[in-house]
Amino acid sequence: MKGTFSWKWAVLAFSVAALMAVGCAKKQTVKAEGAPGAAPAPGVVTEEPVKEAPPAPVVVAPATPPAAAPGVAVTEEKLSQFDDVRFDFDKSEVKEDGRKTCQAVAAYLKKNPKAKLQIEGHCDERGTAEYNMALGERRATAVMTYLVSLGVPKAALSTVSFGKEKPLDPGHDEGAWAKNRRAHFVLK
Amino acid sequence: MKRSIGATAGAFLFALSLFPSPAFPLLYIDINAPGGKRMPIAVADVVVDPGDPSLSRGIPKILSDDLVLTDLFDLIPPTAHMETVTAAHFSGKPLSFPGWKMIGAEAVVIGKVEARGDRLSIEMRLYDATQGTLLLGKRYAGTPAQLRSIVHRFANEIVYTFTGVRGVFGTEIAFTARSGKSRGKELYIVGMDGKDLRKVTDNRSFNLFPRWSPDGQWVAYTSFRTGTPIIYLRNVSTGAEKEVVRFGGSKAPGGFSPDGVWLYAGVSQAGNSDIFRVRVVGGAEEKVVEGWGLEVSPSPSPDGRRIAFVSDRGGSPQIYVKTVGVAGETRISNGAGYATSPSWSPAGDRIAYTARSGGRFIVATVAPDGSGSREVTSETDGDCEDPSFSPDGRSLVYTYRKRGYSALKIVSLDGRRQRTLVSGLGDVGSPAWSPGR
Repeated sequence: MKGTFSWKWAVLAFSVAALMAVGCAKKQTVKAEGAPGAAPAPGVVTEEPVKEAPPAPVVVAPATPPAAAPGVAVTEEKLSQFDDVRFDFDKSEVKEDGRKTCQAVAAYLKKNPKAKLQIEGHCDERGTAEYNMALGERRATAVMTYLVSLGVPKAALSTVSFGKEKPLDPGHDEGAWAKNRRAHFVLK
Repeated sequence: MKRSIGATAGAFLFALSLFPSPAFPLLYIDINAPGGKRMPIAVADVVVDPGDPSLSRGIPKILSDDLVLTDLFDLIPPTAHMETVTAAHFSGKPLSFPGWKMIGAEAVVIGKVEARGDRLSIEMRLYDATQGTLLLGKRYAGTPAQLRSIVHRFANEIVYTFTGVRGVFGTEIAFTARSGKSRGKELYIVGMDGKDLRKVTDNRSFNLFPRWSPDGQWVAYTSFRTGTPIIYLRNVSTGAEKEVVRFGGSKAPGGFSPDGVWLYAGVSQAGNSDIFRVRVVGGAEEKVVEGWGLEVSPSPSPDGRRIAFVSDRGGSPQIYVKTVGVAGETRISNGAGYATSPSWSPAGDRIAYTARSGGRFIVATVAPDGSGSREVTSETDGDCEDPSFSPDGRSLVYTYRKRGYSALKIVSLDGRRQRTLVSGLGDVGSPAWSPGR
């Protein structure tokens, strides 16, 4: 306690002395000194030229969308002849009805050996986007693993996760969430 | 209570040796004192000669808006000012400090601007009105396009003068949002004051998880624009891009090492996400954390020695801390519910994260050893997620969601002050605060 007390007085006395010294200066001169970004020195006007890189070009949102968007449009849901495989919250186990869907998919792929199938993994809107992105990948991979166990060649299959970014149902209740926790089949 | 004069003098000399130049303004704001008193400050109309007369009020407006955001100052309205500042006040004529004190000002800011063509010269001064002393003076030269950035810089100097911590004006927040009716998501950047909103990508695909490089020049993000996710580095000034992570399936950048050499990312292989770090130059990769669970969202500590990350190895997603290159990982969230998206504070003393509490998501902070967990957001309805620290460590930007509505909000670390940064865009998320400027 005592130490703290004397420190306060020391700091105060010092501050007063410093301010008196500054205050006593007859004229507050303008000097050019100090590197850019250096701590300001009270009592002296320092010159600090602003020599930054030119500001970032402002990318203005186009008033009308460009006719042909660059890149691959992956944002539209592609219709599938197969049902989605549904999942429980934060889970990636393929449940009984999902297994039936997978069996139908496997039968189709065996009849059509040239077909390529992409399995999309999706999540509901709850939770962090990065975690859901990884969870969607795990769901898609769980479906792929099950299809391989049914005799589908792995070379015919690929996976991609869209996490929570492509909800099938834009609603915000359990009914919508249940539809959005899914694996979706796209024939390539 | 009695101390010898010698001891006090010794302490005084010690203080002198620590601070060789006068470094203590008598006016000082303790930013850690909850509910501390705000400093009354007056920002006088700026002298414009020559130049656009609207700068006279325009510059004080930019500066005042900055100072108000800190919650450290009370601005004396210009209508109460009694003294008209003239060019003579910049060449020796003293301000009438009793007049400024009379209207309650403890500090006064004056300024002078010369605008000739595309050259702008601005001199700004900060006075202690109670003592009549100059605390800070800066002269800036630039272009009219740099006006806001110059005023932000002086605002940062004012905050530094009174608190010892540099302000964060002129810093920016990168985030993602849906653009118009497109189902894709684009990257956006906005100033920390909510101004200068701009769209960074425009490919109508998914562009996600922006993370700033330590020099503030680059943003790492995941884009689906080729049909599969790839992590790119994008120069925010020039728009130049390069690929950094192509291997694996789903992937999301988490953060850079403080020296900018490594980018940490969560990357899935065969459905299992692990933490990797990839050399920004050269692209060599190293696995940092592996396991049967999903490991995502790495956030490096400010000294670069440790990372915080998310793993669901215990059955639900939780936050873990690991020293890079050393075996052993410590869970720092409580193990219940759901804890994701860690963000390490610039001072290294706290980790902010998203927690699930009573069916809703909230933002909380915890010490890196798992002690002292505290809720930061206190919304009565809706979800608060994805915190990212301001470079001064005083605030967090986060995503607020309530059914279809979403916004970015900024909250002080103690949760007492909060403001909306961005609203009106669709499905905003993944905010990342840039380094200091």
